Amino acid sequence: MNILVFTKRVPATQEEELRILGDGKEVDLSKLPFKVNDWDNYAVEEAVRIAEKTGGTVTAISIGDAESDEVLRRAIAMGVKDGFLIEVEKVLQDPYARAMLAYNFLKKENIPFDTILTGVQSEDDQFASVGGILAALLKVPYSSMVIGIDNVDKDHLVLRRELEGGLQERTKVMLPCVLSIQSGINEPRYVSIMGVRKASKVERKVFKAKDYEESMSSLIEVVKWVYPPKKGGATMLSGELEEICKQILGIIKEKGVYQ
Amino acid sequence: MSLNPTRVLTCIQCGKCTGSCPEAGKTPFNIRMLIRKKQFQYAIEEGIPWYCTSCGACTLRCPRDVKPSEVIIDIRSALVEDGQIPLSLQKALENTFVQKNPWGLSRNKRGAWTEKLDFEIPHVSETKEKRLLFVCCIQAYDPRCMVIPANVAQILKRADFEFGILGEEEACCGNEIRRIGESGLFEELQEENITNFKEYGVKEIITLSPHCMNVFKKEYGDTGINVSHYTEVVWELIKNSALDIKGQYEKKVIYHDPCFLGKQNGIFDQPRNILSAINGLQLLEFSRSRETSLCCEGGGGRMFFETEIAYQRNADVRVLEAAERGADVITTACPFCLMNLDDPATEKGQVVKELSEILMEVL
Repeated sequence: MNILVFTKRVPATQEEELRILGDGKEVDLSKLPFKVNDWDNYAVEEAVRIAEKTGGTVTAISIGDAESDEVLRRAIAMGVKDGFLIEVEKVLQDPYARAMLAYNFLKKENIPFDTILTGVQSEDDQFASVGGILAALLKVPYSSMVIGIDNVDKDHLVLRRELEGGLQERTKVMLPCVLSIQSGINEPRYVSIMGVRKASKVERKVFKAKDYEESMSSLIEVVKWVYPPKKGGATMLSGELEEICKQILGIIKEKGVYQ
Repeated sequence: MSLNPTRVLTCIQCGKCTGSCPEAGKTPFNIRMLIRKKQFQYAIEEGIPWYCTSCGACTLRCPRDVKPSEVIIDIRSALVEDGQIPLSLQKALENTFVQKNPWGLSRNKRGAWTEKLDFEIPHVSETKEKRLLFVCCIQAYDPRCMVIPANVAQILKRADFEFGILGEEEACCGNEIRRIGESGLFEELQEENITNFKEYGVKEIITLSPHCMNVFKKEYGDTGINVSHYTEVVWELIKNSALDIKGQYEKKVIYHDPCFLGKQNGIFDQPRNILSAINGLQLLEFSRSRETSLCCEGGGGRMFFETEIAYQRNADVRVLEAAERGADVITTACPFCLMNLDDPATEKGQVVKELSEILMEVL
């Protein structure tokens, strides 16, 4: 089975206090470290596991700036055969534009595939829709929130989708298809720095996004970056530790949490 | 190539390593057996090497210079390259790659501990002496340990002893990263720190953690920089009357030797000298002290890894002995020891203080 897996380089924002610059025009990313999108890490691991079990190859594709080569090297270190970078000149947020770019690239370069894996969403933009739009453009089946792949057959996959309320849905999806992979589907292997260095020796092909922009337009425009509105409701306790503890106990008793 | 080449084939299986190992007998970890398996190239169960605390007792006692603790690093390195490492260690390594600290906290907040001080600490490049106070991760981020750099900074300032910091430019020293077996990541951290040391003309480094001191002294190569632990510096200042201890401390204090300060780097006396210079303080000793000090089990990545089996922790043994000996306070000069001793001590109603905390009460 030939698998294509999309992987994205994103800023590590979890522990940061983000700053909006220029009256909402942009977010200051200058001092942020970057990493692989968490969901894509699971998708790459899953792709490699399928290929290890059933044969075939995995190719990683990244849409981003030149620095995104980093996530391709990482994917190769995890067991992916090779990597393609679709290099964009400016940040591409719109999910339709991203999916269209990927679609044009796959068609123009005539890249064969049985399955395309993406992460459910990216940590930075969180549209969770590139996989679905790409499947629609390719006119192939799509399954989202994939939390398990139980069976890989010649012409179909049997997989599980994660639903609310602790339920899972087992579905049969015909090949070729697009799947968006949920975190927790596996435990991604550790990628050592030595492994990433060795992966640098494997060729990654670079393609210019401007060669694949036919019919590509953004359907969504970011008007402004804003902070969430401040809400009331928080009570700051002050005083000595013992006094604060008494106050907390009083509050939780009052709210009925503790009798 | 390994930083400290091992000599596995010269092992005579005398068992001194296992005899001194703080994990032997109560966990499945048997260092002599592991060396035997290495000699015969037998498979090693992948969970076993992670028990090692890198205390260095085996290497210190080995009569054949096999360096068992370095053999463990080699075994772990192979597991790391294979991607077979416990999840919590994997997270610590990935965090260190991204944010340069094992907890993955924002690098931009690495200098947050300075906010509570009522004076500003200059960047090391702005100092005359080019003397760097190296804070490192646990002291920069952990709420219990953030007090240590703040204390030491105040103590040095009181003695008019010039120093600077790197702030958010500082990266993890890599001592634990190397011991977890991630040599590539260790090299990256080493390169980043050395580049900063060179760029800012650092001539001297004072570390708060014995782990940082160890790696700078022994594993960063010849940097030409003089490295010392803060207890060495503070003792010199007290000896030269640059620091005046005014207060009384009418307590019985028992000192726990950190492995990376004591048995691995021979610094036994300076912390004891400081404590003995405090009026009223009665210094007690553990039955296992100095070279034979019982490891707290915080080294070699064990701060980030919980073993699968439950057993009586060494910190628990230490706290019980401290109580038996009538200690009012347990003290140490390592943040990992502090954290490990703090839990069982709190549970048993005992007090653990980092040495600088006692000093702040008497200066």
